[in-house]
Amino acid sequence: MNSKVITIGGNGVNYVEVGKNKPLIFIGGPCAIESEVHTLHMAEEISKICRDIGIQWIFKSCYDKDCRSSKDSFHGVGISEGLKILSKVRDKFKVPVVSDFSDASWAAHTAEVCDLLQIPAYLCRQTSILRSAALTKKPIHLKKGQFMSPWNMKNSVRKLESFGCESVILTDRGTFFGYNQLVNDMTSLPIMRKIGYPVCFDATHSIQLPTSMGNISGGQREFIPYLVRAACACGVNAIFMEVHDNPSKALSDANTVLDLKYLKTILSEAVEMHNLRIKLTTKNGEFNVHAD
Amino acid sequence: MYMQIENLTVQEVMLTCDKFPIVNEEELLRETIIEMCNYGLGIACIVNKDFKLRGVFTDGDIRRLILKVQKPIAALYVDDVFDYSTKEYTSIIPETSLKDAVLIMEKLNIWDLPVVDDKKCLKGLLHLHPALKKLLGV
Repeated sequence: MNSKVITIGGNGVNYVEVGKNKPLIFIGGPCAIESEVHTLHMAEEISKICRDIGIQWIFKSCYDKDCRSSKDSFHGVGISEGLKILSKVRDKFKVPVVSDFSDASWAAHTAEVCDLLQIPAYLCRQTSILRSAALTKKPIHLKKGQFMSPWNMKNSVRKLESFGCESVILTDRGTFFGYNQLVNDMTSLPIMRKIGYPVCFDATHSIQLPTSMGNISGGQREFIPYLVRAACACGVNAIFMEVHDNPSKALSDANTVLDLKYLKTILSEAVEMHNLRIKLTTKNGEFNVHAD
Repeated sequence: MYMQIENLTVQEVMLTCDKFPIVNEEELLRETIIEMCNYGLGIACIVNKDFKLRGVFTDGDIRRLILKVQKPIAALYVDDVFDYSTKEYTSIIPETSLKDAVLIMEKLNIWDLPVVDDKKCLKGLLHLHPALKKLLGV
């Protein structure tokens, strides 16, 4: 099973390599950019934790939350203010940054600052969005829609490739299981890896209960550690988690973000699981137990 | 008449490359089957960017695959056809005698033989019906 190694960063920030037999990467931060002060504080705290553990990371926070259930929910600080803040995170912590974007006309501007462009799960098959992201030539973080099969992500990847994209990370964030509920199908990870690019597991959105609370989403945070361990055992190249220092006050995804105080333990376990998995697959090879 | 048959070569009756399904290594299984339906032939030739023949995929491969595969058909459809193709294929060259080629088909119980040059570049496809028509003089 070949998966490309892709490089994110440079241009004043750390290079981060993601892919086969590379160290585990963390992609994380608060769901939304709430303010400059809060964003820089979160980047500093996560940076310290990642340095202690020795894990390379990419800071994630979004400037526009266009998929909120309620019109009254926090919509974001906007593209100009958001990119200014992300630029400060880059400069201060030398860490690559990623934000999603939900309008094709925002891609070029977003790519001026972001080292990695994220395509929201619910737009993962939207040709105009995929095209605009690919044309920036930046690596793309493509999330599997909750309504998509892992094998059908190949169609979205082929679209990206046809527009000139060469670097993709494919991420699972759970799959709809009836209404208002997601299921985490770990078989999606090796299936998506076979498409040929690094694979990531989004642990905090995977425990979401979409719009389960009427006009906002709920979540079952207690399952985050189990899912992170399972995903690392399945061979992901990166773990994605949204993190907040005060989840109940988070302006976006308050019911799913991980409390910062648990990040170090969970990430440490993830790194150990990842290293053990690499050791085992180096020793035993990738299993093909199907009777041919 | 006897001498004429002995002198016939594959290149006289083989289908040229615009007359049978040819797909690249990344082509999806479903798209390949559609190509096979479009041409009405039970074989697709899989080539790389240099047009070298990398594998063949046949109706027989589809039958065996359907009996064996456990994943949903929707997942199978988007697999690369190359994964399921025969890489150890039998091929002939344009100068092969038509009679020898038909005997190979009889021995292997197949209806089509890819025709390649000495660099394994695809040149055509020998299909049983035109070969037989030529040999029978009809």
